[in-house]
Amino acid sequence: MVGEEHVSMIPAAPSEVWSAEVNGQSQEVLAPSNAILLDVLRDKAGCLGVKRGCDMGTCGCCTVLIDGEPRLSCLTMAQDASGCEITTVEGLADGAHLAPIQQCFADHGGSQCGFCTPGFLITSQALLTKNPNPSDKEIACAIEGNLCRCTGYQQIIESIQAAASIHRGESELANPASDAHPDPHPSGPEEPTMPPGHAR
Amino acid sequence: MSGGYKQQPGGGGNETRKDGKRVAGKQSFSPPGSGGSKPEMSPRDLDFIPETVGGKEKQPAGSHIHDRARTGTTVGKRTTLVDANAKVTGQAWYGDDVRLPNAIIGRIVRSPHHYAKVKSVDTSKAEKLPGVLAVATGDDAPNSFGVLPVTKDEHAMAVEKVRHVGDLVACVAAIDEATAREAVSLIEVEYEVLDSIHDMKKGLEDVDEPIHWRGKYHVGTTNVQKRVFQEFGDRSMVENPNASYHGKWKFMGVNHGFTEPHAVVAHWDSNGRLQLYTPQQVPHYAHRALATVLDVPMHQVNVIRTFVGGGFGGKSDPFPHEMCAAILSRKSGRPVRITFDREEVFWVNRGRHPSHIEVQMYADEEARISGFDIDALIDGGGFASFGHVTSYYNGVLATAPYELGSFHYTGARVWTNKPASGAMRGHGAVNTRCAVEVGLDDMSEQLQVDPIDLRLANLLPPHSRTISGFRITSNGMRQALQRVREGSDWDNKFRKLPLGKGIGIGCGFFISGSGLPIHWDPNKFPHATVHIQIDMDGGVTVHTGAADIGQGSTTAVAQVVAEVLALPIEMIHVRSHESDTSPVDLGSYSSRVTFMNANAAIRAALEIKEKILNAAWDALGYHPDTLVLNDRRIYYKHDPAIGMSYLQALHKAQEDKGALIASGAYRSPPMGGVHKGAAAGLAPAYSFSAYVAEVDVDIETGLIKCTDVWAAHDCGKALNPMAVEGQIIGSCHMGLGQVLSEQMVYGRTGHLQNPNLLEYKIPSVHEMPNVTPIIIESCDPEGPFGAKEAGEGPLLPILPAVVNAVYDAIGIRVNDLPLTPDKVWAAIAKKMKLEGIDDPADLPVPRLDFSELQSKLVARAAEHETRDKRRQKSEDTDAYVNGVLFGFDPNVPLEDQVEGWMSSDKPTPEQLAELGLAGTAWLKEEQRNMGGGN
Repeated sequence: MVGEEHVSMIPAAPSEVWSAEVNGQSQEVLAPSNAILLDVLRDKAGCLGVKRGCDMGTCGCCTVLIDGEPRLSCLTMAQDASGCEITTVEGLADGAHLAPIQQCFADHGGSQCGFCTPGFLITSQALLTKNPNPSDKEIACAIEGNLCRCTGYQQIIESIQAAASIHRGESELANPASDAHPDPHPSGPEEPTMPPGHAR
Repeated sequence: MSGGYKQQPGGGGNETRKDGKRVAGKQSFSPPGSGGSKPEMSPRDLDFIPETVGGKEKQPAGSHIHDRARTGTTVGKRTTLVDANAKVTGQAWYGDDVRLPNAIIGRIVRSPHHYAKVKSVDTSKAEKLPGVLAVATGDDAPNSFGVLPVTKDEHAMAVEKVRHVGDLVACVAAIDEATAREAVSLIEVEYEVLDSIHDMKKGLEDVDEPIHWRGKYHVGTTNVQKRVFQEFGDRSMVENPNASYHGKWKFMGVNHGFTEPHAVVAHWDSNGRLQLYTPQQVPHYAHRALATVLDVPMHQVNVIRTFVGGGFGGKSDPFPHEMCAAILSRKSGRPVRITFDREEVFWVNRGRHPSHIEVQMYADEEARISGFDIDALIDGGGFASFGHVTSYYNGVLATAPYELGSFHYTGARVWTNKPASGAMRGHGAVNTRCAVEVGLDDMSEQLQVDPIDLRLANLLPPHSRTISGFRITSNGMRQALQRVREGSDWDNKFRKLPLGKGIGIGCGFFISGSGLPIHWDPNKFPHATVHIQIDMDGGVTVHTGAADIGQGSTTAVAQVVAEVLALPIEMIHVRSHESDTSPVDLGSYSSRVTFMNANAAIRAALEIKEKILNAAWDALGYHPDTLVLNDRRIYYKHDPAIGMSYLQALHKAQEDKGALIASGAYRSPPMGGVHKGAAAGLAPAYSFSAYVAEVDVDIETGLIKCTDVWAAHDCGKALNPMAVEGQIIGSCHMGLGQVLSEQMVYGRTGHLQNPNLLEYKIPSVHEMPNVTPIIIESCDPEGPFGAKEAGEGPLLPILPAVVNAVYDAIGIRVNDLPLTPDKVWAAIAKKMKLEGIDDPADLPVPRLDFSELQSKLVARAAEHETRDKRRQKSEDTDAYVNGVLFGFDPNVPLEDQVEGWMSSDKPTPEQLAELGLAGTAWLKEEQRNMGGGN
């Protein structure tokens, strides 16, 4: 390096307007024309739930839905997703209510450290949309591109199966105790009135 | 549930109005421990309440110290992690998700050489590049640091030398990533390349330029960082063994493979204080190191732990890049964010040590284990990290769960020019455990006995002492072995399956918290402190420094507080992110958090409970001993109708004082021997585990597929069974990676060949077997509600279980992990040549004919089972030390009754002549004995 003429590593790319419908909201941002979708989603569109694990398509943490198809955003040029409908983990919940797949991941231990969870949720959501009655084998094939280092996948598969049964209408959310509605009476049951004549 | 507590004498409790609502004034309310007003929980809750306080649960270990605090609210139930919603909605903020206004991006200049002197660093061109706001080099941070106080051998950036490819040389901060990368390429470094070493065996030799210099403690002029010698017991017992095993093992290094790459954000705020956001397992040590390196008092640094995207030991050192971000932020006056790419994660490493391990094991005529000889040479890479401890753990954590006649360990850790090895799940114990458990399998083959029975007849009982002086309290090893034997249908499968299919057993033993804190201030400063605060709203805020890295420690703390105060877990809010607000906790390492932190939390909660009950005493006139706090209500235990609500009592307690505040702390009891290294491996409790694995081996290709695992782990008491099962299955996943596919491959030139997740083979969902987690609850007398660790111990048995299963399948042992198809096939081919077979389908499969020893072992195991049960229930409280099985008296020091029983930490001159590979480190003198050093 010493004494050689320095060649710039990355030629500056011109910025362009990038627009897409992200989680139901149309977004228009200025991004370099060679930007990667993952960077645009995280840095410009505010979707920090899309995770960067490896930058080379090996871990699946950055999976998003592009027009309903699960795609690795770290291997997608932003321009290629321009004008598309993009769903990230932030777009799964319906207002304050978790989607069944989210609730099931929480209730069945499908998420431990949680870093791979957004990618798994998106992949499973795409699977359940297409196939509401997947076998364990089909689930395994769907999530084979996602890496989880904590759970050993077993509880993830259980979570997806539980969500599938909710999608099919066979069961309700399994654990109402952990529903997002805290007990309205933190003081416990009302103090009972003393029965008349009860001696203390 | 029948009846419940009637609030009104004679009241029906089941009367309802026509519209289905319960009749006012006559409703029954739930019994103690019902978990609040949720009727669907009541029936099963009763099962969790200990008998001692009116419930149904039988206590396996007699009465437990926390029984009186139990209410059945949450402990023992499958509990959703309290931070799960943040994780499934994408709101959990990991290192790279911290976005501060005006933040700039930092990048690191790394060494392209294995080993070199840094002659000069020219940063002028980078500084002139528009958009570059700060550049720093080693000169900006001359103070050294390290996670252990005895081995502070790291710098923020190279001060004199670089020690591996990827070692930090300088760093830059710029307005965006592209400019920062550009600036990195403009920094000109002049190196003088030195001779590097990559083979750990070479680390034992004298060299001109050792990678570090330890002054008068340096061993010769070698690269030996730490050497250990330990010997216990009677060496004469190993003479004339009935069976013996000699195995030379090679283990490749493995990386934690957490999904979140390291990331840090540093920000010197307007008051000149450093706010550092980092996904750390051990924020307190980072805090200490930052203060040292930046030359500021600790109270001027606030370490904010972000969500941690997986740790497994890999985020427990203080890291140079954290210092770099702080230095760049101080220079530029702006927040600086540094995020690693995956390659950089591998260069930081701290993964499991590549090791050469040699074990010799002996069994006597009664199939007692008369001796373990272990020799472990481990490759530390460029820095010490946790290596001092790892050097001990490779030996001492093999001293249980079996009773041994003698134990001999030599260990050495050497520096090489590779990324540093460090702590990884199962720290130090994993590789030796694998070798030892395979050795037992081999000896049982020679003795013609069942390997499970061999183990069952040689276990240490509960409440005993190991040969090295570790204090065993609760011990569920026997139940674990019995449960996996039963679950896997072992007796109908072992040595009976056809060629290519096999079944194997492995056990594990691990510490539940390190008895000695790493800052080495023994037993003075608490290991864990928890603060609890309740203000007028009734919600409980818990402040703890415990780092939740996904294992669920925050949930465990919330659970135990909810349990003591009999509140729904939704009312407990745990704040554990900031060093400014959290009391010091030593962090998530050594599987210590549940044990130590939850114990501290219980103490704090009990103090709060006392305050509330005292207030109720004032109001109700009944002594707190006769009051029950339950279901958000405090009532007289003989007439539940007399009482007041939790909020009323709370407000009473807050009169004139305001918010209730309590502090609880935990420190381990004084334990252990006095020999050098006695503190390594000491823990207030130990976990035990036994796994059976079933494998399919493709005899044509050598490809191994693990199909089923029965995994029993004694975690004392599963505070949250869902989390414990998650830890067990996750441990299987990580251990399977090490035994079947994961390895850090260093090529001919010493370069790391696979620093990415494509070529570093972490098992995918398709490689996972069907794991049946089996939770054994031995109810530890000192654990929080009886709990012990479940995070690391479950990893140990999977490796030997798979290796033993492979032997059962094809009759071949491969002592070189991972068992990749090429190695297995080479072994198959070698065996075919040896036996003169052309078709691998003709390979002989091992079969077992029991010798007469088998029935003796079964009888002995049955005897021991009775013994263990009595000890577990405290019906037998006699002393038990390792050696009783060999007929010694536990009440007389063994040295006094056995000639030759010894405990030694240095080899004798005669022993120097017959040392193993790592033991040869003892042939060199330390500098101080050579008149050298400084």
